Amino acid sequence: MRQLIRRMGKALVLTSGIALISTTASGQSPEAGESGASVPPAKFLSATDNQGPKTAEELTLAMWSGAGNVTTYTIGNSWNDWVLWLVFDKLREPSPYVGKAEDWLATSVTQISDDARVWEIKLRDGVKWHDGTDFTAEDVAFTFEYYREGPANRWTHHASAVPRMVGIEVIDRLTVRLTSEMPMPNFDRVTAADLPIIQKAQWQGVEDPRSFTDLGIGTGPYRIVDYKADQFYKFEANENYWRGAPLVKRLNLVMIKDPQTMFTALKTGEVDGAARPVPPELVLQWKNDDDLELVSSPTLWGAWLDINVSRKPFDDRDLRNAVTLAVNPEPLLERVMLGQGKSGKHGWPHVDSFWTKPDLSAPHDPEKAKAILDKRGYVDTDGDGFRETPDGKPMSWSLKVASNQPLFLRAGEMLVEQFAAVGIKTRVETIDPGSMSALWRTREFDLRIADITPHGIADQDMLIILYRGDKKREMIFDEEKAEIVQRWHEADSREKRLQVSYELQEYQTRYPTRVMLWYPETVFAYRWQSYDNYAPSAGYGVFHKYSFLPDTLRGDTVDPLLTN
Amino acid sequence: MVYFRIVGQYLAVFAVALTLNFALPRIAPGDPLNYMLTEDVLANMTAAQEAEVLREFGLDKPLLVQFTAYVTGVFRGDLGISVRFGEPVSEIVLARLPWTLLLMGWALALSAAIGTALGILAAWWRGGRFDLSSLVVVLFIGSAPVFWVAMLLITLLSAELGWLPSFGAAPLGAIPGSGEYILGVAERLIMPVTALAIVQTANILLTARSAMSIALGQDYITFARAKGVPEHRVFFRHAFRNALLPIYTNVMIGIGNLVGGALVIETVFSYPGIGTLILEGVEARDYNLLQGVFVLATLGVVLANLIADLGYPLLDPRVRRT
Repeated sequence: MRQLIRRMGKALVLTSGIALISTTASGQSPEAGESGASVPPAKFLSATDNQGPKTAEELTLAMWSGAGNVTTYTIGNSWNDWVLWLVFDKLREPSPYVGKAEDWLATSVTQISDDARVWEIKLRDGVKWHDGTDFTAEDVAFTFEYYREGPANRWTHHASAVPRMVGIEVIDRLTVRLTSEMPMPNFDRVTAADLPIIQKAQWQGVEDPRSFTDLGIGTGPYRIVDYKADQFYKFEANENYWRGAPLVKRLNLVMIKDPQTMFTALKTGEVDGAARPVPPELVLQWKNDDDLELVSSPTLWGAWLDINVSRKPFDDRDLRNAVTLAVNPEPLLERVMLGQGKSGKHGWPHVDSFWTKPDLSAPHDPEKAKAILDKRGYVDTDGDGFRETPDGKPMSWSLKVASNQPLFLRAGEMLVEQFAAVGIKTRVETIDPGSMSALWRTREFDLRIADITPHGIADQDMLIILYRGDKKREMIFDEEKAEIVQRWHEADSREKRLQVSYELQEYQTRYPTRVMLWYPETVFAYRWQSYDNYAPSAGYGVFHKYSFLPDTLRGDTVDPLLTN
Repeated sequence: MVYFRIVGQYLAVFAVALTLNFALPRIAPGDPLNYMLTEDVLANMTAAQEAEVLREFGLDKPLLVQFTAYVTGVFRGDLGISVRFGEPVSEIVLARLPWTLLLMGWALALSAAIGTALGILAAWWRGGRFDLSSLVVVLFIGSAPVFWVAMLLITLLSAELGWLPSFGAAPLGAIPGSGEYILGVAERLIMPVTALAIVQTANILLTARSAMSIALGQDYITFARAKGVPEHRVFFRHAFRNALLPIYTNVMIGIGNLVGGALVIETVFSYPGIGTLILEGVEARDYNLLQGVFVLATLGVVLANLIADLGYPLLDPRVRRT
C-alpha cells in the first residue's frame, strides 16, 4: 500500500509538471479577476489504455442517489445533478466551479451597465424543447421569475438572493435583460453557468413542485422516457439536440445503494459504469484489471469539521482560531484516505477552485492554540488534564458522525486525540444518517464531520449564501465578517470581487465556522468494452452529458486526460 | 366464541400498533424537511418558506389532527403522499409489495421445508453423525448476520463464478411476462431467498429437532413400538404429527423475523421491495411512507399470527376442546 501511495505521489508530481506544460502550450492565460489557480488534470490510472467503442446503442450505469422525476425540485444536490444535466441545459456550461464557462443556450452574455447590475443574454435560435416546441426568451425570463418568486430549490438563490434579480425583461424572442439589486460581476461565470433553464409551458401554474410527478422536459441531449423512483431511469437520445446527436442512443440508470453490490455489478458486467467514486482499496485491485478502466477526475468535493457557532463557546472566534490550529489534516489524509487527495490545510473554499487565494492555508500549530486558549481563559482549573470554560464550567464537546460513514468515524477518533493534545476534551458520537441530516436545522451539536459538495465549496455565490442567507446563522456576533461580506456584495468588477473574496477566505480560514479536513481524489471505473469515450469534467467526474457528445461538440466543457 | 375472542385480541393489537406507527417516526430527530431541502436550500429559506413546504405535505397541522387523518385514511385506503417520492403512499407500497411477498414467500417455504426436514431427521437419529453435522453446519451459518451471508453469496456466485445477477428484481428492458423476464426474475431471486432462508432455517431446525425429540420420548411412542407399529408409521403418524404444533408456531413467528431480514437483504441486493422502502422512509423521515409501510407490516404479522391461531384447532384436536 505504501508503495502504491509513493507511486501515486510520483505520478502526481510528474503529471502536475505535464499539466503546467500543456496549459502554457495551449495559450490559456488567466483573465482579470481570476486567481490563476486551476483544477488539476484528470489522470488515467489503469495499466492498459484499451481502445473500445466510441459509440453505443445502449449503456447501463449504476447510480446510488435517487433523482425523482428528474426536475430541479427532485434533484437537489451534487450527488446526482449530472442526471439533471442529461435533460436540461444552462445558458453557459459546464459549471460555475472552473472559471471557463462557454456559451451554451446563450450565444452571448454581456454586461450592460458599469456597475455590473445589468446583463443582457442573447439566446441560440432553433433550440427545441423535448416536446418539439421552440425555446425562447420567455422560457429564460420565466425561469428567473419562478426561481425568484416560487418555492425554493438548490438553484433558486441565483435569482432570489445572491444575486437577487429586481428586473427580468424580455427584449425580443431571443433576448433577455436582467437587473440585480447588487452588482453581479461574475453573472456569466457563476449564475449563467449553474442555473438550469426550465420550460415555461410545463412549469407555469405548478404551485407544489415537490409533488409534481410529470417527467421533466428539457432541451438537453437526453429525453427521460420512463422511470421508477429509486429503481431505474430510462433515457433516449435527443436526436435533434441543437449541439448534435449524442453518441449513446439509450441510457439506463439503475439504482444500487450498496457500494459493494454496485462494484460487483460493474465487475460482472451487469452495468457498464459505476457513478460512485471507487474506494481507495479497490483502486489498487482494479488498476490491472483487463475488464475495467479507472480514471481519476476532480469532483471538487470535501470533508469538513462543522462548528456550531450558534452554541457557546463557539461564538468566540478566538476559540475557533484555536480549534483550527489544533487540527492537523495531514495524518487524516494519510491514514483515513490512504493519501488519495489533498489535505485540508489549504483551508476553505476548495483548494482547486479558480477563485481560491493561491497561498491560502490553515496552519497546524498546537502551541499557538494552547496560548490562545490560555489567554482567553480556557484553562484546566480542576487538574483533570482538560480545560474548562472561563467561568469554570467543564468543557466536553461531542463530535457527531453519521453511522454510514466509517471514514468519518476514523477521522473523528483521530481528531479527539488532536484536541486532547491541546487540552480540549471531545468525544465521538455516531448517529443515524437521518438524524445527522437534521442537525443543520436543529443545531443540536457541537462539532460534526460532513461531506461538502462543489456547490457548497466551489460556488462563489453559494459561499455567500452560507454567510448571508436569510437565516444569517453564521453572521451572529461577527461584525467584521459582515463588513467584508457587505463589501463583497458591493464589488462591481471581477477584480474587486476577487480581492474581497480573498479577504473573506483569509478571515474564514483564520476564524472558521468549518475546518477543512481533506479534499478527496475521486476515481471512477467503467467497462471500456461497452463504451470508451468518457471525458473528465471538473466537478462532475466522468459520468455526465459531455461524455456522450462527439469530441468535436464538447468544446471546453471537458478537461484533458493525462495517460500513463 | 373462541374465534371472536381471538379476533378481538388482534383488533386491539392492531389499534396499539397503529398508534405506535404514528408516534415512532415522529420521535426520531428531524423531520421530512431535512430530506426534501438540503442544507444548500435551507440556508436560503425563510421560516415562512419552510412552513409553506410543511403545509404542502400536511405536516403543519396539530398532531391530533394528523393522527385522526392518518387513522381515517388507513380505513379509507388513503395513506397520504410520500415526501420522498411525491406519489401516493398506497400506490408505492402496492407496487413494491409483490416483490417482498415473492421473496418472503419463497424464503419462508424453503426454510420451513428444509428446517423441518433436517430437524425431525436429526431428532430421529439423535446423537448420530447426521444430527451432529447438521446441527454444527446450520447453527454456524444461521448465527451469521444475514447481510454477511448475502455478501458472501454475491462474492461467490456473482463476482467469482458469474452465475447470477447481483442486484435488482427483474431484468431492465425485458417485457413483463416474457420468458426472458420470468427467467430474469427467478435468477435474481435465488441469492436473496437463499440468504434469508439460511438464517431462518437454523431457527426452525432447532424447534423441529426439539419438538420431535420430546414427541419421540413419550410413552405413546414406546407403546406404539411395543404394539409392533412399523417405524415409518411411528415416525409420521405418531411422532411427527404431535411435533407439528410448535414447528408451525415457529414458522408463523418467523414471518416477523423475515420482515426484519428483508429490510437488510433488499438493501444489499437493491431489491425493490418493502424493506428498501422502509430504509428510504427512515432516511427521509417520510412520515406518511413509514406509516403506510408499518401499517402493512403490522397487518401482515397480525394476519400471520391470526392464521396461526385459527389454524391450531385444525392441526390439534385438543385445542378445539379448550
